[in-house]
Amino acid sequence: MTSIDTPALPRDASTLPSRPAISPTLVALRQFCRSPSGVAGAAVLLILVLTTVFGPHFYGIDPLDLVDAPFTPPGEDAWLGTDYLGRDILAGLIHGGRATLTVGGVAAIITIAIGVTIGSLSGFFGGVIDTALVKITEFFQILPPLLFAMVLVTLFGQTLTTVTIAIGVVSWPTAARLTRAEFLRLRNLDFVKASRAAGAGNGHLILRVVLPNALPPIIVSATMAIGVAILFEGGLSFLGLGDPNTMSWGLMIGQNRNYVLDGWWTVIFPGAAIFVAVLAISLIGDGINDAINPRLRKRG
Amino acid sequence: MPSVLPPVLSVQNLSVSMRGSNGFVPVLENLSFDVAEGKTMALVGESGCGKSMTALAIMRLLPEDFIVTSGSIMLDGGDVLAATPAQLRGLRGNKMSMIFQEPMTALNPLYTVGDQIGEVLRQHRKLGRRDATEQAINFLRAVQIPAAEKRVHAYPHQLSGGMRQRVMIAMALACRPKLLIADEPTTALDVTVQAQIFDLLSQLQDETETSIVLITHDLGAVAELADDVAVLYAGRCIEKGTSHEVISHARHPYTRGLMACVPHLQLGPATRNTQLELEEIPGMVPPLGARGPDCAFLPRCASAGDVCRTQPQPPLESVEAHAAVSCWRHREIAP
Amino acid sequence: MNLLLHIVRQLANAIGLLFAVLVLNFCLIHAAPGDPAMVIAGEMGGASADVIAALRIKYGLDKSLFEQLFTYMSKVVTGDFGFSYYFNEPVVSLILQRIPATLYLVIAALVMSVVIGTLLGVVSARKPNGLFSQGVTVIALAGYAAPVFWTGLMLLLLFGSVWPILPVSGMIDVVRPKTGFAHVLDIIQHLILPSTTLALVFIAQYSRLARVNMIDALTADYVRTARAKGLPETIVIGKHALRNTLIPIVTVAGLQFGHLFAGAVLVETVFSWPGMGRLVFDSILRRDYPTLLAVLFFSAVLVMAANIVTDLVYRLIDPRIRSGAR
Repeated sequence: MTSIDTPALPRDASTLPSRPAISPTLVALRQFCRSPSGVAGAAVLLILVLTTVFGPHFYGIDPLDLVDAPFTPPGEDAWLGTDYLGRDILAGLIHGGRATLTVGGVAAIITIAIGVTIGSLSGFFGGVIDTALVKITEFFQILPPLLFAMVLVTLFGQTLTTVTIAIGVVSWPTAARLTRAEFLRLRNLDFVKASRAAGAGNGHLILRVVLPNALPPIIVSATMAIGVAILFEGGLSFLGLGDPNTMSWGLMIGQNRNYVLDGWWTVIFPGAAIFVAVLAISLIGDGINDAINPRLRKRG
Repeated sequence: MPSVLPPVLSVQNLSVSMRGSNGFVPVLENLSFDVAEGKTMALVGESGCGKSMTALAIMRLLPEDFIVTSGSIMLDGGDVLAATPAQLRGLRGNKMSMIFQEPMTALNPLYTVGDQIGEVLRQHRKLGRRDATEQAINFLRAVQIPAAEKRVHAYPHQLSGGMRQRVMIAMALACRPKLLIADEPTTALDVTVQAQIFDLLSQLQDETETSIVLITHDLGAVAELADDVAVLYAGRCIEKGTSHEVISHARHPYTRGLMACVPHLQLGPATRNTQLELEEIPGMVPPLGARGPDCAFLPRCASAGDVCRTQPQPPLESVEAHAAVSCWRHREIAP
Repeated sequence: MNLLLHIVRQLANAIGLLFAVLVLNFCLIHAAPGDPAMVIAGEMGGASADVIAALRIKYGLDKSLFEQLFTYMSKVVTGDFGFSYYFNEPVVSLILQRIPATLYLVIAALVMSVVIGTLLGVVSARKPNGLFSQGVTVIALAGYAAPVFWTGLMLLLLFGSVWPILPVSGMIDVVRPKTGFAHVLDIIQHLILPSTTLALVFIAQYSRLARVNMIDALTADYVRTARAKGLPETIVIGKHALRNTLIPIVTVAGLQFGHLFAGAVLVETVFSWPGMGRLVFDSILRRDYPTLLAVLFFSAVLVMAANIVTDLVYRLIDPRIRSGAR
C-alpha cells in the first residue's frame, strides 16, 4: 500500500492514521528488542509460562500421585526423579509453576497498586498527607518483609490467597518511595502547572497528567516486583507456609529439604526453576530499564 | 625582547583526535606555541575550540576516547608524551599543575581543603601529615584566605566559589610547579571575584616565576595578564602573537569579532558600566567531524571573499616579528 | 545540626514506630480468625482450659478492646511478651538467648557483602566492558535471582557430602572445648557457610551498585583533579573515588537490613543455626503466636537500631550531612 495522503510518514506509521508519530512505547519496545539479554529473558519467561499452561496436557502425570519408589533418581522411570514420597518431580515442576508464577504476578500487582496509590497521593499532595503516608511507609519498612509475611500467613491461614495478599502487603514500600519521588519531581513541572491552570481537577492531574509520565520507573519496579514475589513465595513455602494442597516450586523444596542428602534432585530442580524464572524476569526488567533510560545503557 | 633561555613549555604541531564510530575525528590540528619562564600564554576562543583539550593533552589527562595523533610536548626539556606513568605522576602536581573551571566539582566534597592541599605535599615532598597541614595553612594565607588556620579544616561546601578557586590555586602551586595551566579559572565565579582571582594569579606568578597557560574566552583577562596569545577556532590556531600585538592589531576576522564582544577592552575600568553597542559573531563553532579542509571560520565570516571559498584553510603566516595569522584576506581586512 | 539533638530525635522517632509495631501486634491477635485467647496461648501450645481461662483474666479479654490494648501495652512495656507454652519459657528470655547467634550471622554477612561487593564493583568499574566486569555482572544477576534457601541447600549438599571440609549444621561442635580461642574458631567455622549463603544475595546487589557508582566517580572532576595532582592510582581510586562510591552503598545496606534479617530466617533454617530465625521456624511449626509476634517486634527493634547506626556511619562518611548542607 502506498500512502499518498501522508507521504512524509514512514510506511508502517501511516497505516495507523490516528497516530501521526511513532509512540514512545513503540520506541521503547524497539530499544528493548535491541537488548539481547532482555529478549532472552522474555523468551525464557514465555517458555516457562507456556510450559505451565500447556504442559499438563502433554505430561499426564499428577504431581500428587505416588508414581514410583521414593528417591528414584532421574532416569527412565522418572525423568527428573521422584521426591521423598515417590511423587514425580517433573510433574511437580510443571504444575507447581502455575501456582508460583500466578502468585508472583498477582502479588506484584497488589504491591504496585498499594505502592503507587500511596506514593502518588503522598508526592502529589505533600504537606500533612505526605508526612502521614511517609510515616506509614517508614513503619512498614522497619518490619522485615518476609518475616512480616510469615506472621500474616501463620495467623490468617495457609492458602494461596493469603500468601499472595501477604506478599503484596509487605512489599509495597519500595514502589511507594519510588512513585513519591517521581511525583515530587513532576508535580511542579510546567505541563502539570498548565493543566492545573486549565482547570483540571486533582484526580485528572494525578491519573492522566502526572502518572503517565511517572510510569517508566514504575514499570521497571513492577517487573522486578514479580521476581521478588516469586522469591518470597519460595521462601514462605520453604518454611512450610505455602498452601499444602497446591503444588508450587517453593513447596517442593520445603517438603524435600530435610532429605537433600538422600536425593539432591528433589531440591535442585525446583530451586533451579525459581532461579531461572527470577533471572528471566530481572533480565526483562534490566532490558526495559535500559530501553527507557538510555543514559544507563551507555554506561554498559 | 626574545628570551635566550629555552622555553619551559614547548608544544609543537600538536594534533588531537577523537575516536568516533567512523574513525578518528580531528579535535585539535597542528598547534604550536612556546611559553618562557615566568611568562603567560593565553589560549583564546569560544567553547568547543580545543582549548581545554590542549590543556588536558599537556597534562596527559585526555578523556579515554581522545588521543594525541602527532606533535610533541616538551616540559622543561623533558618529553611529556613519552613519559611513563610513574614519570608522569612525578610531573603532575609537581612540575606542572592545573586548575579547573568548576572549583565546586573539582574539589572532593568529602575531604577537608587542608587534606587536599596537603596531599600534594605528602606525595611530592614526602611531608608528614602534620607538616603538610602546616604548609597548607601557609598556602591558604598566600592565596589570601582569611582565618587560614580554621579554614584548613573546612570542607569545600563550606566555602564560597571564589574561596574554592583560591584553594585550587593553593593546591596547584603547593609544589612550586614550572608550569600552571588555568582552564577558564573564573568562568564559574562572580564578576567581582573574577578580577580578584586574576590579580592573585599574576601576583603569585611574580613571586614564583611560574609559567602560566591561561585558557579563557575573556580577552580582557588576556590584555591584563598574558604576554602571548594564541586564538583557536575549531581546533585550529588562527592567530597568534604577543598579546599587545594581537589585541591592538587584530587581523583575523574571528579575533576582531571576539574583541567586539568585550565592552571594556582598552577603554579602562571607568567606562565599564557605560552602555556600549555590543556585537556578537553570528552562527556557531562547527561541530566535530563537520570541519572541512577550507577555512573553518568561513561560514560565519562577514569578510569572506572568493579566495576563501576556493582555497583550503590558510597557513599560519607570520606578519610581524611577533604575530602570525591564518587568513587569506588579512591584508585587506587589517592593513 | 547538633549531633546529640539529632540522635535524640532519631530515638524518639524509633520509639514511636516501635510503639506502632506493638499496636500492630495487638491488632493481629484480634484480627486473626479464632479466639484471641487461643492465639495468645498458641494453638499447639497444649493450652488447657485452665490456661485459657487464666489468659482471659490476665489480658482482660472480656473487657473493651481499648482496655485490652492498654493491658497488653502495659505488660509489654514491663518486658512481658507472654509465655511460650511450647518452649515452656517466657518469650523474652527465649528471644534474648537467640539474638547473639542471629547477630553473628547477620553482621558477618553484612560485612562480607559490603566488602566483597564493593571490591568486585570497584575492580570491574576500571574496565566496564572487560571480561572481569562481564563476569561480575553475571554473578550479580545470578546472585540476585537464586533463592537464598536454595543456594544454602546446594552449599549444604556440596560441603555435606561431596567435599566435607566445613561444618554444615549448628553453631558449635559438641566435642570441641567451650572456652577460649578454640571455641571462637569453632563458631567461626560453623559460621562460614551460613554467612556466605546470606551474603551472596547482597554481594550481588552491592557489586552492581558499586560498579555503577564507581564508573560515575571515575569520570568526576575531583578524580581528574586527583590525577592532575600526580597521585598514584591507588590513592585516586582507594581514597577519592571509593569514598564517594561508598555513600550509596551505605544507604542501601541500611535500607536492606530488614531483608538481611528475613534472609537470616531462611539461612538459619537451612543450616540449623540456633538464632531467631530458627526460633521463627519452630514457632511457626508449633503455632506459637506469642513467640512469633515478639520476634516480629524484636526484629523491628534491630532494624531500627541498624537504621540509626547507618545514619551515623553516613554522617561519618559525608561531611555535607554533618553540617546540614544537604
